[in-house]
Amino acid sequence: MHTAEASHEDSHDNLVIDNKKLLMWVFLGSDCMFFGTLISTHLIYRKLYPESFEPTALFSLELTSFSTFILLMSSFLMALAVSAMHKGELRSFRNNIIGVVFFGLIFLGCQVYEFAHFVHEDLTLSTNTFGSTFYMMTGTHGVHVAIGVFWLVCMYFYSHTGKMDAHESAVDVEVAGLYWHFVDIVWIVIFTVVYLIEFI
Amino acid sequence: MKSISVRLLRIFPTIIIGVLTAFFSGCSLDTRMSTFVPKGPIAETQLDLFMLTVWVTGFIFIAVGGVYTYAIIKFREKPNDNRPLPTQGHGNPLIEIGLIGASIFLLVVIAVPTLQGIWFTHDTPDDPESRMGSWYKGDGLSDEEADNPLIIKVKGYRWWWAFEYPQLGITTANEMVIPAGKVVHLELRSVDVIHSFWLPKIAGKVDLIPGRTNSMWIQAGDNYLNWKEKHGHKADDESLRSEYSSYLEEEIYDYYYGQCAEYCGDSHARMLFRANVVNDDDFTTWVADEKNGHKAPSNMNWDEWYAAYDENPNQLSGDLHEGLKIFMGRGQCASCHQVAGNPRALGVAGPNLTNVGSRMSIAAGWLNHRSDTNNVDLEKQYVNFFKWIKETDVVKPGNLMWRANGGGIGELTDENGELALLTDDEIHKLSLYLQSLK
Amino acid sequence: MSYTEIQTPKNPSTKDTTSVPQVLTPQSSQIGLMRPDHSKNVVIDWLTTVDHKKIGLMYGAIALFFLLVGGVEALIIRTQLAIPENDLISAQRYNQLFTMHGTTMIFLAIMPLNAAFFNFLVPLQIGARDVAFPRVNSFSLWAFVAGALVINFGWILQALQVMGLFQASGPTAGMNDFVPAMGWFGYAPITGINFTGAGTDFWIMGLQILGIASLSAAMNFVVTIINMRAPGMKMMRMPVFTWMTLVVSLLIVFAFPAITVALGQLMFDRCFGTNFFVVAGGGQPILWQHLFWIFGHPEVYILVLPAMGIVSEVLPVFSKKPLFGYAIVVFSGAVIGFLGFAVWSHHMFTTGLGKVATAAFSLLTMAIAVPTGVKIFNWIGTLWGGRVRFSAPMIFSIGFVWMFMMGGFSGIMHSSAPADAQQQDSYFVIAHFHYVAIGGIFLAVVAGIYFWLPKMIGKMWKGNLSTWVAIFSTAGLNITFFPMHFLGLLGMPRRTHTYLAGFGWESYNLICTIGAYILAFGILLLVVDIVRCFRYGEPAGDDPWDARTLEWATTSPPKVYNFAKTPIIPARDALWEDKYGPKNRKITYEDDHAHGIHMPSQSWMPLIASLGFIPLGLGMSLMQAGVPFMGYFAIFGLVMLSIGVALWALEGPGGYHLNAKENVA
Repeated sequence: MHTAEASHEDSHDNLVIDNKKLLMWVFLGSDCMFFGTLISTHLIYRKLYPESFEPTALFSLELTSFSTFILLMSSFLMALAVSAMHKGELRSFRNNIIGVVFFGLIFLGCQVYEFAHFVHEDLTLSTNTFGSTFYMMTGTHGVHVAIGVFWLVCMYFYSHTGKMDAHESAVDVEVAGLYWHFVDIVWIVIFTVVYLIEFI
Repeated sequence: MKSISVRLLRIFPTIIIGVLTAFFSGCSLDTRMSTFVPKGPIAETQLDLFMLTVWVTGFIFIAVGGVYTYAIIKFREKPNDNRPLPTQGHGNPLIEIGLIGASIFLLVVIAVPTLQGIWFTHDTPDDPESRMGSWYKGDGLSDEEADNPLIIKVKGYRWWWAFEYPQLGITTANEMVIPAGKVVHLELRSVDVIHSFWLPKIAGKVDLIPGRTNSMWIQAGDNYLNWKEKHGHKADDESLRSEYSSYLEEEIYDYYYGQCAEYCGDSHARMLFRANVVNDDDFTTWVADEKNGHKAPSNMNWDEWYAAYDENPNQLSGDLHEGLKIFMGRGQCASCHQVAGNPRALGVAGPNLTNVGSRMSIAAGWLNHRSDTNNVDLEKQYVNFFKWIKETDVVKPGNLMWRANGGGIGELTDENGELALLTDDEIHKLSLYLQSLK
Repeated sequence: MSYTEIQTPKNPSTKDTTSVPQVLTPQSSQIGLMRPDHSKNVVIDWLTTVDHKKIGLMYGAIALFFLLVGGVEALIIRTQLAIPENDLISAQRYNQLFTMHGTTMIFLAIMPLNAAFFNFLVPLQIGARDVAFPRVNSFSLWAFVAGALVINFGWILQALQVMGLFQASGPTAGMNDFVPAMGWFGYAPITGINFTGAGTDFWIMGLQILGIASLSAAMNFVVTIINMRAPGMKMMRMPVFTWMTLVVSLLIVFAFPAITVALGQLMFDRCFGTNFFVVAGGGQPILWQHLFWIFGHPEVYILVLPAMGIVSEVLPVFSKKPLFGYAIVVFSGAVIGFLGFAVWSHHMFTTGLGKVATAAFSLLTMAIAVPTGVKIFNWIGTLWGGRVRFSAPMIFSIGFVWMFMMGGFSGIMHSSAPADAQQQDSYFVIAHFHYVAIGGIFLAVVAGIYFWLPKMIGKMWKGNLSTWVAIFSTAGLNITFFPMHFLGLLGMPRRTHTYLAGFGWESYNLICTIGAYILAFGILLLVVDIVRCFRYGEPAGDDPWDARTLEWATTSPPKVYNFAKTPIIPARDALWEDKYGPKNRKITYEDDHAHGIHMPSQSWMPLIASLGFIPLGLGMSLMQAGVPFMGYFAIFGLVMLSIGVALWALEGPGGYHLNAKENVA
C-alpha cells in the first residue's frame, strides 16, 4: 500500500496535489485506455458477429443489477471511510473498510457464480469471440476488484499496528478510494454496454 | 578542432553528391519491378503522386536547406571572436505564422491530388470496353458475367499464389495471365497468414488478410479511349487503331514480375509471382488450353490409361508413363495437386499444375526458365524441376510439399514403412512428365 | 510512511570543511529491514540505488550495450544481403535477426537511451532532488533489464537447439524457433500457435514486462515534472527537454495500455484457446494491426520527441541565443504527441481500409508534418543571428536537422496513400524510418551524450575523435540508407532473406552493405571516445559549454542531493540569465533546513520485485515449449514479485539527512 513514496519534504512549492494522488490519477488515465481497449474489442466483435452474440438467454439481469448495486454501495462506504480517515476517526474508518471489503467480496462471488454458470451453459473462452472478449473483459475487471479488496484488507490490518499517521495515511486511503471508485465506474460502463445494451 | 569541423562541413556535401552521382550513373531505373516505369493507369497515378511529393519536398529541401546552410556558415563563430553576445531574441510570431501558412499551402498541393488518387484507385471502374462480353472470344459466359470485367480471385498460401478465374472456371498458380488494356477486378484472400499482392509496374500493394476479402483493380496499359485522349487524338480511324495496337505490342505485352510484400514466414523472400499480359486472342486461347487440360501420355485418353494402370501398371512403359505413375502413385503428387483433364489428380492443397510446362518459372517464381525470346528454356526447365523435387526444403525452407504432416515428399516411405525419398531416376521421370504438361 | 521514524541528529555538524556530504543519521526502516545505504560494496550500492543519476547512467550503459547487440544483428543482415542468393544464414535465422534487430533497437536501445537522459536530466533541469518516487524509478530500471533478458533468452535455447540439446515438445512442438521471428510489429495471425513457436512467447512476455517498466517510469516522470519543480520553475520556464519528457511520458501512459491488452489477447490465444486473432474461431487479424498501431504510432513519437528535446537544448547553447519561439516549439511538440494518436492507420493503407478512412488518415498524416516543420523552422531561427560554435554536440545536432529533414520528407511521401501503396513494406520504408531513427534519434542522442556526459561524470572529452564519429556515422548512414529509397522503388520488398539476381538490386544492396560497415565503424569510434572520456578526461568544471539551463548550475558530476540549496528560478534559461542577465534574474536559493537535506534510503525491494519478472516471464513462455516444471518456475517468479512489493510497501520510504557544503555561490 505504500508503493508510492515521497522522496523529501523540501521543494513542494509547485505542489497542488499530493504526489501519490497524482500518480493514482495518471495511473487511472492509463487504466481508462486499458479498459477502453478491452471494451472496444468486445463491441467490435459484437458488431461483426451479431449472430454469435446471443447472451440474453445467458445473462441474468437480476443478478448483475444486484451486483452492480452492491458495488455502488461499496463505493459509498469507501467515501465514508476516506472521510473518516480525514477526521482521524480510526474506528469508523475500520468499520467502513470492512463494509467495502464485504461488498467487494459479494461482487466477486456473484462474478464467480456467473462465470461458473456460463461455463456450465457451454460458453467458454474458446467457444467463440463472444466468450473470448466477455471473459477477458469482465475477468480483468474482476482482477481489479480483487486487487482492491486485497489492498483494503491490508490497510485494515495495518490500521491495527498503530503506525497510521493522520496526514500521510489519509492520503493513502484517499488514493485507495480513488482506485475503488474508478473500478466501480468501469463496472457501470461494462454493465451498460455489455449487459443492458443486449436487452434494448 | 573548429577549423577541421568547418572544413568538414564544406567537403561533406561534396562527398555525398559524389556518391549519389556514382549511383545514378551506375544504376538503371528501368528494371523488372521498377515503379518508375508504370504500365497501367494505377501505377501511373501512384508514380505521378510520388513525383509530386518529390518535387514539393525537393523544393522545401532546397529552400529550407539553403537557409539552414546559410545560417550555419554566416553565423559561425570567428576565431578570437570578441563581439558582444548575440541579441537574445525569443522568436517572431509573424514569421512563425507565415511559415505555418506556407507549409499548409504546400501540403494542400499534395492533398488534393492525393484525394483524387485515392478515389480513382479504390473502386473498380465500369469501363464498357473491359466488360467480358465485349472482348472475350470464348463462350460459356452468362449475361451477368459478360457485363462484368474479368474477375480473378487471388489466394495467398505459404508460399505460393492461386489465381482463380471464376467466370471462366479455371485456376492457375503463380503465373497469372491477363488481357492488355482491360480492367481486371481482383479479389484477394489468404488461407493462412497475411500476404500482400504487389505487381509494381501495374499497381501498388493490397494485402491478403485471412478472414476478410480485399479487392483491387488493375489494368495493364491504357484502353483505347484513354490512350487516344492521352495522345490528343480526336478522330477515330483505322490508322489510329493500328497505332494503338503497336503501342500495346511495344509497351504493354510483357511478362511482369510481382512479389509478396508482407512478411509471411520462413520463405517470404521466395513467394514471387508473374503476370503475363497478352492480347485478347492469346488470352482466349490460353483459357481454352487451361479448360481442356491434358490427355494421358501417348495421347491416350484417361479412362484407357487408368484401366491399364489399375490392371497392371507395368504394361505402361516409357519415361512419360513412368513419370505419371510416380505422380499418381509413389510420389503422391496427386493428393495435393490438380491437373485439368486427369480425373484422379484433384488435390487442392498445392498449386494447380495444369500447363505447368508452359509456365516460365516454378516454385512461385523462384526457379526461372524464361529464355531471352520469352519462351521456355527446356534445359533449364528440366534442371529446375529436378532441383525443386529433389531439394524442395532447400529451395523453399519450411514449405508444405516437403513435410505435409505425414504426406510430404520428404516423408515418403517404402512398403516397409522405411523412409525412402524419390530416387534420382524417379525424379528424372517425374520432371520429364511435368515438362510435358503444356 | 511518515518521517517520524527518522532520528534527526541532535547536533548537525555545520562545520564540515569538505564538499563531500557527511552522513549524519543512520537509516532505519519501519519493519526493521536493512536498508543498504552507503554500502561500501560498489555492486550493492549500484544495485540498490534510488539515485536518479546512477539509474540514468545504468540505463545508458545497458542501452548502449543493446545498441551494439542490435547493431551486430543489423550487420549480419546486411552481410547476408550483400549479394543475391547468398546463403550465409538460413531463412529462419534471418527472420529472427530482423525481428530482434527491430525489437532490440526500439525497446532495448532507443527507449532506454531516452530514459537515461530523462532520469539524469529532468530532476536537475527542474531543480528537484530526485524523481517523485525514487524506488519506483529503480523498479522501472530493473524491470526493463528483466524484460530485456526474457526477450533475448531465446537465443540461448536456439543455440542449444542447433547443438541438438533442446527440442520443443509442448503445444508448439515441431516449431523449432525459439527466437521471435515475426517482425517487430508481430502481425497476427503469424504470431498464432499454428505458425510460430516459443520465440513468440518470449516476445509477448518480454514486451509485456518492458511495458510495465515503461509505464511505471512514465507515470513517475509525469508526477515529477508536475509536482517536483523548484520554486519559480513555472511550466513555461521549463527547459524544452523536460517538456518533451512530459509529453513523451503522457504518450507512454496513454499508448501502452493498447499494446498491453493486445499482447494479453495474443497470449490468451496461444495459451488458453481464445479467438481474438484466430481466423477459424471468428477472430479478425486486422484488429491486431489497429491495436498495435494505436500504440505503435505514438511509440514513434515516444522515440523521436526526446531527440527533438535534446537538439532544442543543444542548438541555443552553441548559438548563444535562446531557442527561437520557445512556446511554439513546446506547443508543436504537444500537438505532435496529440496527433500521434490520430494517424495510426497510415501504417495500414494497404489493408483495405476503405477510401474514406484512407483519405482521413492521409490528411491527418499530412497535418502532422506542420508541427514537425515548425520545429525545424525554429531550430534554424535559433541559429539565425547567433554565434555558432562547432563543438561536438553542435556538429551532431546540425547533422540531426539535415537527416531528420530527409526522413521527414520521405514521411510526407508516405502520407499520400496511393503513392504509399508502392512504398509500403518495401525498402523505401526501411530507408524512411532509418533516416528518422539513425539520422534523427541516434544523432540527437549522440549529441546529447557529447553535451551532457561531462556533466554526468565530470570529465571533459579528450581530443576531437567526435569529428570522426560524425563523419563515419553520417557518411555510413547515407551510404546505407539513401540507396534503399531506390531499392524500394525498384520493387525490393522488406524482410526478404535473399533475392534473385537480375532485378537491378545487386549494386544497391552491395553499397548498402558497405555503408553499414562504415556506420558500424563510426559507432565503434563513439564507444572508444566514451571510454577515453571515462579514462583520460580532464575535470570538466560545472559549466564547460557556457550553457543556459539549470543542470549546469550544479557541480559536475552533481552531488547525490543535486543542489545544496533549492534554487529559486526567476526566468527561463535560468543559468544564462544568472550569468548574463539583469540583477533581478539571478538564481537565488532557499534557506537551509536546520536538519540538512532529506534523502531517500536505498532499497533491495524494487530489485527483488522486478527480478521476479524473469522467472515469471521465462516460466510462462517455456510452458508452451513443453519444458517440465515451468509452471512452478512462473509461480516462483510471481511469489518473488509479490514478496518484493509487499516488503517494499512495509519498509517505508526510510531516509536520512545530509548536510552539504555549499556548492553554489
